[in-house]
Amino acid sequence: MDDTQRRVDAIRTERSELENHIIDEYAAGKITRREFVRRGTVVGMSIPLVSFLAAACGGGGESGTEATSGGTATGAAQPGGNIRVALIQPSTEPNPLIVKDEGGAGLLGSTGEFLSFSNAKLELEPRIAESWEPNEDGTEWTFKIRQGVTFHSGATLTANDVKTTFESLVDPKNASNALSALGGVLSPGNTEAPDDATVVFHLDAPNGNFPTLVSSANYNAIIIPADLDPADWGKTFDGTGPFKLESFTPKVGAKFVRYDSYWGEKANPDGFELKFYDEEGPMIVAFQGDEVDFVEHFSVSGGQALLSDPNVQVIAVGASTHRQLHMRTDKDPFTDKRVRQAIALSLDRNAMVDGLWDGKADLGNDSPFAPAYPSTDTSVPQREQNIDQAKQLLSDAGMADGFTVELQTWNGFEIPDLAQLVKQYASEIGVTVNVKIVGDDTAYYGDAVFGKSIWLDSVMGITDYGHRPVPNVFLSSVYTSKGTWNAAHFKNSQADDLIAQYIAALDLDSQRAAAKQIQELLLDETPVVIPYFYNFLSAAKPNLQGAVSAATGQFDLSKAGYTS
Amino acid sequence: MARFLLTRLGLAAITLFLLSVLVFVGANLLPGNVARRKLGNLADQAAVDQLNHQLGTDKPILVQYWNWITGLLHGDLGTSLSYNLSVNQLIGPALTHSIKLAAFAFVMVVPLAIVGGVVAALNRDRLTDRIITVGGLSLAVVPEFVTGIMLILIFGLWLNLFPVSANAPDGSDILAQLKYLFLPALTLVIVLFGYISRITRAGTIEALDADYTRTAVLKGLPRRTVVRRHVLRNSLLPTIAVVATQTGYLIGGLVVIETLFNYPGMGRLIFTAANGKDFPLLASSVLIVGIIFLVATLLADLAYSFLNPRIRFAAAE
Repeated sequence: MDDTQRRVDAIRTERSELENHIIDEYAAGKITRREFVRRGTVVGMSIPLVSFLAAACGGGGESGTEATSGGTATGAAQPGGNIRVALIQPSTEPNPLIVKDEGGAGLLGSTGEFLSFSNAKLELEPRIAESWEPNEDGTEWTFKIRQGVTFHSGATLTANDVKTTFESLVDPKNASNALSALGGVLSPGNTEAPDDATVVFHLDAPNGNFPTLVSSANYNAIIIPADLDPADWGKTFDGTGPFKLESFTPKVGAKFVRYDSYWGEKANPDGFELKFYDEEGPMIVAFQGDEVDFVEHFSVSGGQALLSDPNVQVIAVGASTHRQLHMRTDKDPFTDKRVRQAIALSLDRNAMVDGLWDGKADLGNDSPFAPAYPSTDTSVPQREQNIDQAKQLLSDAGMADGFTVELQTWNGFEIPDLAQLVKQYASEIGVTVNVKIVGDDTAYYGDAVFGKSIWLDSVMGITDYGHRPVPNVFLSSVYTSKGTWNAAHFKNSQADDLIAQYIAALDLDSQRAAAKQIQELLLDETPVVIPYFYNFLSAAKPNLQGAVSAATGQFDLSKAGYTS
Repeated sequence: MARFLLTRLGLAAITLFLLSVLVFVGANLLPGNVARRKLGNLADQAAVDQLNHQLGTDKPILVQYWNWITGLLHGDLGTSLSYNLSVNQLIGPALTHSIKLAAFAFVMVVPLAIVGGVVAALNRDRLTDRIITVGGLSLAVVPEFVTGIMLILIFGLWLNLFPVSANAPDGSDILAQLKYLFLPALTLVIVLFGYISRITRAGTIEALDADYTRTAVLKGLPRRTVVRRHVLRNSLLPTIAVVATQTGYLIGGLVVIETLFNYPGMGRLIFTAANGKDFPLLASSVLIVGIIFLVATLLADLAYSFLNPRIRFAAAE
């Protein structure tokens, strides 16, 4: 037995059953190195430890190609400098409870820090939490809180700050945006801090992806001082991150400077400046006019000038951001699944990805399991356009002459174009789709409850969904019988059971096994069509290095700098 | 004159009251729900109801109007629902920005358009006249976002002469600020030149054809004196009215230009307030733009009466 093996054995004796299971999976070649790193970090192993085990245990190689590194080139960045960032205008005050958009997320993450940072590869990098581990069945997660961390105001962070932050986020009275991820997972009163360095979360049900739900992927979950009212956070931006607030001008921008008492490696740049933009066009122009160095997010349609410029570093992060075309399974003409399948088969997804996204998107397969998720089973056949089969299905369903249906959606992003494409493709199988654009998102979503929402009440509609680093929220909210976002009114007990299994699964093998069955079931039932998952795009000047972008709208400039 | 002024002030007060009612009703007619806007499309209905109650937006519309108007009369513009800040804190900087841009644009366009209009009138039906009138109108009918984008492309990106954003960095001196404001101001000049110069031209032609001008010429006065003393004084009357009516647009209506040049003025503030159903911010912003517009038209009326004694005397009777 050599030294390396002895060290591995020693490490394994100290790790939990779940962690050892993941190591076994990797050693047996069942998961790739990337998946091992990702899963290992999710269950609480540090990146150095995972890296050591990855090298020591051999295991699976890489499958496929990296969509992205999630950041600009790294290397010879000079220390210092002030990085200018273009960010879409936040729509609300910077209050960690109510921020609900990318602009606001960017502001929170500028000074705030999370238990961990979900990077572009969906790995968790420890930040305020040094490590975390579940109990045997995943109903309880224990986080070790880093010691010696200070807020910018000077106070020392303790486990009580973490506890208070999460109690505030899950309190229904606060209507926190974080409830979209934590609702039904963590109830009020179930977070405890037995000592200054430990936080224990008692979950409502087993959950293998819980660490991701309390990471930066849940952008509301920055840790703030226990005695600070979240509504007042915008006055000081008191956080523990590598940058602290210098100035904030609502509707204009904010400036941040290096926090010299940061617990970790000090930020490389002297600071950075956020400039807010109401629209994408002026943001792109400002980048071209050398007024900003980093565009946090741009679209394919609005950013052609950047995509075609060889002097721009484009960061493309694989994401789960997508559109759902729902069909009411309880209302004609979509009560027969063959009709829903026919609509799905009429679509030319490759043409959509090329036409709407210039190829910067992954094909969707009518389930929320995006290719970016490690748990997605890629052996499930991809649905392709098949007009003949679609016509046959309609004929079998007694609708050989087609039918007319109204498709309702709202005017935002590429959604009206997508609606027109659905109309065009459906016409090829004799279905007349009347597109009705109802106005802005407010008009479409209404009160977001059944009976008071075009989104949830329409027979057919297109809805936008943002990136989630794990599919739990999509699954439980959209595809379960009691799902509050179940616009297709899809009720299937088998799906309910499989989704519960998936969410409870602690290891990747079990997750993938459940995922395969869910994917196949949804492909067959087709309550919803998901034509694509599009990449999250950021842009940087060629001389900016080390800037990191994540699909939730978070960015990390602590290691960034200019080469000249 | 005092009676004239009092009459105008009285009318302005009535107009402001009507405006406040219109703004209030208009804001409440906007689709959507205040708390829903703030908490997001997916927020729980109970939380939405609770926030509406907390903000007072669930009260009867008359009660809400009374609370708002009494607050205004006490100098309290309210708190922005979107930004949780005093409305004064948001309107102050935005108004300053808008006034800077409007003033710069006025300083450029008013003399230019008056000279253009007078020159066109003095050269009626000649080539110079055609160039000024047709050229000015052609530019004026181009949408401002097209003009703005062209200027950004040419002077900002290709020639690299001016910044593509209008908001100068903090601490910039006046010259740097003017440099940043040049392209949006030039966009406004292009938009307004054709309109103002055409009105000036029409007024000048009317004055040139008037009996008093013919009398002055027949008296043997030099042409330059005739134009300065008799023509300009009368021809500028409609121009003053037109310039005054543009004030509201320049202060509160430049949504497109402010967005294009990422300039944090009143136009964008009003637009985002309307979009976010941020009622206190929307209503107060529109009311302030209305007050500025009324002050501008009042000043125009005074200038009008100063230049045209018939109005002054008619009002005094």
